[in-house]
This record gives sequence, C-alpha cells and structure tokens, in this order.
Amino acid sequence: MAKRFVTTKVEIEGREETKVVELPSRNPAPWDNDADLHVVGQRVPRMDAIEKVTGDARYTADIRLAGMLHVALLRAPVARGRVTMLDLSHALELPGVRGVLALDDTPDIKLDGVRLFDRAVHYANQPVAAICADSLQIAERALHAVAITIEPDPHVVTAERALAPDAPKVKSSGNSPRTSPRIIGRGDVDAGLRDADVTITREYRTPTALHTALEPHGAVAEWSGGQLTVWESTQGIFNTRRDLAKAFALPLSSVRVIKNYMGGGFGAKNGASHATYIAAAFAKKLGRPVRCILDREGEQTDAGNRSATIQRVTIGAKRDGTLTAIKVDATISLGIGGWLAGPGRIYHELYRCANVRSSETFVYMNTGAMASFRAPGSVEGAFGLECAMDALARELDIDPLELRRRNYADRDQDKGRVYSAKHLDECYRLGAERFGWDDARRARRDVSPRMRRGVGMASLTWGAGGGPPAYATVRINRDGTIEVLTGAQDLGTGARTVFAQIAAEVLGAKIADVRTILGDTERLPFASNSWGSITTASVGPAVRVAAEEARDSLFEAAAGMLETEPDDLEARDGEIHAKSSDACMLIREVCERLGDVMIIGQGSRGPNPDKTAISAFGAQFAEVEVDTETGRVRVLRVVSAHDSGRIINPTLAESQLEGGIIQGLGYALFEERVLDERLGVPLNPTMHDYKIPTIADVPVIDAFFVESSDTVANHTGAKGLAEPPIIGTAPAIANAVANALGVDMPEIPLTPWRILSLATDRS
Amino acid sequence: MRLIVNGASHDVTPPAHETLLATLRERLELTGTKLVCGRGECGACTVLLDGVSVYSCLTLTAACDDRPITTIEGLAHDGTLHAVQAAFVEHDALQCGFCTPGQILAAIALLRDNAAPTEDDVRRGMSGNLCRCGTYPKIVRAVLAAAEAATSNG
Repeated sequence: MAKRFVTTKVEIEGREETKVVELPSRNPAPWDNDADLHVVGQRVPRMDAIEKVTGDARYTADIRLAGMLHVALLRAPVARGRVTMLDLSHALELPGVRGVLALDDTPDIKLDGVRLFDRAVHYANQPVAAICADSLQIAERALHAVAITIEPDPHVVTAERALAPDAPKVKSSGNSPRTSPRIIGRGDVDAGLRDADVTITREYRTPTALHTALEPHGAVAEWSGGQLTVWESTQGIFNTRRDLAKAFALPLSSVRVIKNYMGGGFGAKNGASHATYIAAAFAKKLGRPVRCILDREGEQTDAGNRSATIQRVTIGAKRDGTLTAIKVDATISLGIGGWLAGPGRIYHELYRCANVRSSETFVYMNTGAMASFRAPGSVEGAFGLECAMDALARELDIDPLELRRRNYADRDQDKGRVYSAKHLDECYRLGAERFGWDDARRARRDVSPRMRRGVGMASLTWGAGGGPPAYATVRINRDGTIEVLTGAQDLGTGARTVFAQIAAEVLGAKIADVRTILGDTERLPFASNSWGSITTASVGPAVRVAAEEARDSLFEAAAGMLETEPDDLEARDGEIHAKSSDACMLIREVCERLGDVMIIGQGSRGPNPDKTAISAFGAQFAEVEVDTETGRVRVLRVVSAHDSGRIINPTLAESQLEGGIIQGLGYALFEERVLDERLGVPLNPTMHDYKIPTIADVPVIDAFFVESSDTVANHTGAKGLAEPPIIGTAPAIANAVANALGVDMPEIPLTPWRILSLATDRS
Repeated sequence: MRLIVNGASHDVTPPAHETLLATLRERLELTGTKLVCGRGECGACTVLLDGVSVYSCLTLTAACDDRPITTIEGLAHDGTLHAVQAAFVEHDALQCGFCTPGQILAAIALLRDNAAPTEDDVRRGMSGNLCRCGTYPKIVRAVLAAAEAATSNG
C-alpha cells in the first residue's frame, strides 16, 4: 500500500521548508491550457465587494462586545535604556481606569527576542506598560498620570555604526544574529571575474520602508469559561492561535481566532502581535472583553518594516554580454529582531551565470524589528542587481533588455532543478512590444532644457508555488447553495472569490450560489498563513479536490433521479445534464429531493513535484520625466508583464499587479523611515511625513499576464502573483531616471533632494 | 444636541472636544467610517456634512448640530447601491476595503461639484484619500464610469 504521509518541499517567502503532507483522496488531472473551463478564468466580481462598499464589512476595530474595555500603551521615548522607576498607581486611581499591565503581571512573552514590557528598553517606542479603561480617551489620558524614569544608555540605529568595533551591544549576544556573514555561492567567482572582459562594481542603498497598512495591528479578546476568543487583523489565524496558546499555556482547542476582514497586511501580520497579547492578558485579568488597537504612531514604529540594505555589487561579463561572475556583499538592517530575509537570493536566480556568490551580514540595532514586507529580500535585492545590470549594459553598450535576454536562466542553478514552467521570454517580448521599448530607447531624452525623459526596465522572479498542508471542505445545502470552508485569509487579494470560482467550476454551479467562509480557527480546516503569494496555489487545489468529492456524491444522487449512470452526467451553470439523453435537473432540485442529506466533500493539497523549482516571473518597464530644476521625478507609464501560470480571475489578479506596482513606485520615489541618529527616534511616524503614493502619483499602468497553465506546479495550474509586481518596479524606475539623466542612481527613494545632489555631483 | 445622520435624528451629548468620527463610531455605532491616521492625513474617515466632504477626524461633533451628515451606511436604499458604490464594485475599485468608505464619499462629493470630471479632475479631487493596496487606477475608472452613468441617465 502506498504511504499516506510523505514529505515535500514548500517555499515561503524565499525560505524552503520540508513539510509533512497527507496525500489527498484524489489527484485530479491538471487543468491545462486546453481545459474547457467556464468559471475559472472569468472576471467574476469580488465576492465581498458589497460589504466593503456599504460599510457592512466588520474589521477588528469595528467589533463591539458588551462591557468591552479599551487599551492605551505607554511607549519608551528613548532608543535604549533601563526603566528604573515605574509607578502606575495614580493612573489606576483615575475614574474609568480598570487595570494596568507591566512586566511583573504579564506572562513571559517574547516578540523579536524582546520580552513584552521589558524594563530594558531596546528601541524607541517599545511598550513598557499598558492601561485599560472604559474608553480609549480615558486610557490615553491616564498615560499622563504614569510616573516613569528611564536611564538612557548609548544606542545605535545605523548598520554602519552597529558593526563598528566600539558600538554599543544591541543584544547581549552581539550586534548580529550570526557569528559570520551568510555566504551562498556556486562556481568560482574570482575565476569568473578573471575571465571577464568588463567588470563593474557599484554600491546600492535601499531604505527602511514601512508597511503602512491602513488598518493597524489590533485585537479584541474575550475569555469565557477558560476559552479565549480573539478577533484579530491577521494574515494567519492558525499562527495567531498557536502563539496565544503558547503564551497563556492553553491547549489549541481552547483558543479561537477569528478574522473576517482586514485592512491590509502586506506581510506584517503573520502571528500574534503586542496588541493581541495585551488584549488577551487584560481580558483575562479583568474578566471583560478588551480591545487593543495600535495607534498610527505605534503602527509606523513598532509593527514591522522592510530592512534597509547596502549592497556592494560586482558583475563580470564578456564583451558580448555573457555574464562570468556575480558577487554581492550586503549589509541588512534588521532592527531589534526579525528573520533573515536577505537580498542575496535573487542574484542567484535571475540570470544564467556559473559563478555567483552572495555574502549577507545581518545587523541588529536599536530600532523596531523588521517583518516580512511584500517579497522581503527580493525587492531590495532586485534594486541592486537590476540597477547593476543596467550599469553593465551601459558599460558594454548593449541594450539593457538584450543583455538580460542573453543571460536567460533556463533552470534553478543553485539547486540544479528544472523550472515547472518559465515564460519570462514571453514577458520580455510582449512587455517590450506593448511598451514600445525600441522606439522609446531611441527617443530624445531632453524634452525641454529643463525636463528630461528616460526609460528603464527590470526583470523579476519569486518562488510562488505554494504547497501543503492546506485543507478545504465543500458543503452543499438542501437548496443547492454551496459553501467553501477553509482556514485561509483574504487580505483584500480576492482569495474568497478565487476559491468560490474553483468550486463553482468543478460542481458546474452558478457562482452566485457559492459562498466562501474564511478566517475562524474553531470552524474551519487548516490553511496556512496568507503570505508569500502562496494562498491560491496552496488552497486552490484543496478546494478543487473537495469540490470533486462533493460533485461525485451529487452526481451519484442525480444519476438515480435521472435514471442514468454518474459517468453520464455533467453540470454547468447550476444544471446537471445527461450526456446520452435530454435528461436534466437543476442542482437545486437534486438537493431539494435529498432533503437534509448534506453533501460534503473534503479536500487537501498534495505534495509539490520533486526536484522542481516553482517560480513566478515578470518584466517591468517604466518611463519617467525628471524636472532637473526641482529634482521631481514623475513616472509617466509602467508596462508590467507577468508569468504566474493560470489566472483564476483576471480582474482581481490585475488589481494585485497594479497594487504591487504602486507600492513599488512609493518605494522608488518617496518611502523612507527617517531616524534621528543622535536621539535614536523615528522622525516621520505619520502618514503626512511617511509618504505613500496618492492617486495623483499613479502613472498609466498596463499590467498583464502571459498566461499559461503551470500543470507541473499543481493541478489548478495557478501560481502566486501578489508579490512579484513590487519586485521590479523600483529598479525599472531608477533605471529610467538613470537613462534620463545619464547618471547612476545608487540610492532610493529618489527624492528631489537626492536627484538634485546626484545631478550636481555630475556637473 | 441633535445630530442628523443619514436622515435619522440622534440626541447626543458629547464633550466639546469629541470628534465627529468618535461620535459616529463609538456613540452611534456606525463603524463603516474608519479611523486610520486620526489627524487629517489619509481621508479614510471622510463623510458628507451639508453635502460637502469633510474629514470626520478633524470635525468636532459640537459643530454639527442640526446639520445633515451622510456616512457610508446611508448611501444604499432598499438594497440598491448608490451609483458610485455600484461603480466601485463593477470596476473592482477596492481590495482590503478599509479606505473604501472614505473614497466613495469623497467621490460623491467630487461628482456633486463636477458632474463631468476629466481624469485629471478625478486624480486631483481624490488625492486626499490614501489607499495602500493601490486601487487607484480602478478608482479613477469607477468614478469616471459613475459620472458617465449619471450623465447618460440624467
């Protein structure tokens, strides 16, 4: 008998993990390019759009429970120090204040290596105490009644300073999570550089970027009979449940996490946060429901960020452009914690090159911890690599697109694996055609003495294969309506709609009769965090299997009623037909005759193919106009061509592309956390001072898919697509600005000040 | 004082410093209006006051006595969406949905002032409402479509 439990490799945000997988009950034939599909691939309207346009959608801060209390956090105003005195008694005496929390009365909870309410301050705005009151206003006012003394200690908030021999120690173990750089390589880079006809070396810098989800981190917690229920704005209900169970020493079955709607995540909401723990701790202590929502300053300073990097890049090439060596030395600012999402990886993947070496030094410093942020590592790395490729193209006098084509990678070279599918060449071809690349490259740069125009492009890749475990249930009610149940999350990506389309496709149901139910650990089968662009490719196949099981039962019931065999039946648009006769019934009629017999299908996600790399690809093109007097850069248009396998819903997928491109535009032009180095505090923790793009900044965007089902990846043929569009946008824009001005862009964001100083340096 | 929200009267006695946003969300439990920045930087809390769009986080409730207020909850009637809401659905002008109520009210105010806006008018008129998901291209389309539908119906 074949084994039911096997292992498989799953890639999540650049990290490959081995997972145990229970083989699904069936393994359907993949939907290939010729598959006759009627709902999958259609522009079905977003299923929760009505709730969102009417204000009916309830987000975490909208949850109101009887007797609910509210929390304000006391945050440290210094980057490093020790709380030598903390007196909360006066605050506690104020009318309406119901409780306080500090280190002594909080379970031992660590986030990013820092204990909650630690009396040792490790970064500015670290929470040191919390106040719970009848209203948020009362809690916030009571903060002023807290007496606190913090003895400041020397801090360090830049990577360069943190790596200096005399730097203050950020952690007792030192200022890096590793004793040596993380070095990954193939071939012999020194030999490759000796073989090169041309070598370029450049240094690139990327900023600390802030997620700036409009809905901040937050939770509402309630204890009842030893059961903890938490409403949370999270990308992972099961991770949040795991974190809470551990913190409060509860069995998993005693914790319920609910997330129906959330106002953006972008990677920063992958488990329990300060707000979650504090709400749960207060609710336990006070015996009342508690709401804890970060304020905007807390969200901008203590809820994750994209690591700043410094990348020293050397590329060697033959005169014809053939790459002989790629080398990158990177320094990555983690802040007080986080995980090792380095820029190195994309240097290994994007181009064919026998000799590649990345060295990554991760640095702790006294700032808020990094968190995954839409394609963490690869966004930073793509900026360095793709700007360096353009510098090389200029050096070789080869068209930048042509240089990339000449170094096309046809397999995953580090691991020696084939790609499940790769259509980057088509992205290049169609992207260039729709952009008018050749003509644009020949066009005049100087529109006027003051205004200059330029074009640039960049390639991208991202591991987006998803994988197990993921489970789904499909239930058919007695009126023929269908429910898809899975513990995944919809961040606004459209997952809810995509799952319903897959179920409707398999069952031949009307899409209007299908509803997807997400986000409740107590009611739904497991699905992993919605991160790493994995949700559709992970959960979609499980939904398909569940729907197939349900369809088999439905057809068996219908066959009896229609006096034929189940094999003779097919369904479409809510109607089941016999192929051999005119006999037909509505799904609803079959179900009505079954009464309260509930047809239930269970599905799970099978293993990934062995020795295969599953990735998404893309090519992005940008045209910019630079005002040489003000230094202002305006992006005029972006063309973005993507290969993410089959597209289940083109409208929602295009929305993801546009969103990623616009975030990438912000990263290229505006977004940068600014710290006062002397004080160690963030200077722009507001939405006025931390600039995200507005509607007026948005260029003409032509974002599309080079669609081809990836039948090796999984049996839906779909791969991830939400992160790829942010990866190449910033280098495409920077390369366009470099093209306009004839000078390298070594650092983003390309603020007017930076543009003017670069232009001045040149003259 | 009397607050007229979506046509319904409410007797409320807020403290003088209470914002309209806090009154709507916390007292009247109309949670469709969102708090994002709380200081007039993002537009998520946009509502209509006397038909004009205002940031409810910067508006004191005390200043709204007896003046008509429209929130996102007051747009659809008997299950029929307002034309702008319908256009947002049709053009997928939303992702996470958190900025959407403010965007829709800002668009309604814009169209009230300018029934046939150009694309530039929309981009200028809507630039006080931030969206982090990047639905802007679809918002432009939705607002122009709503304008066109109103013109051709009118």
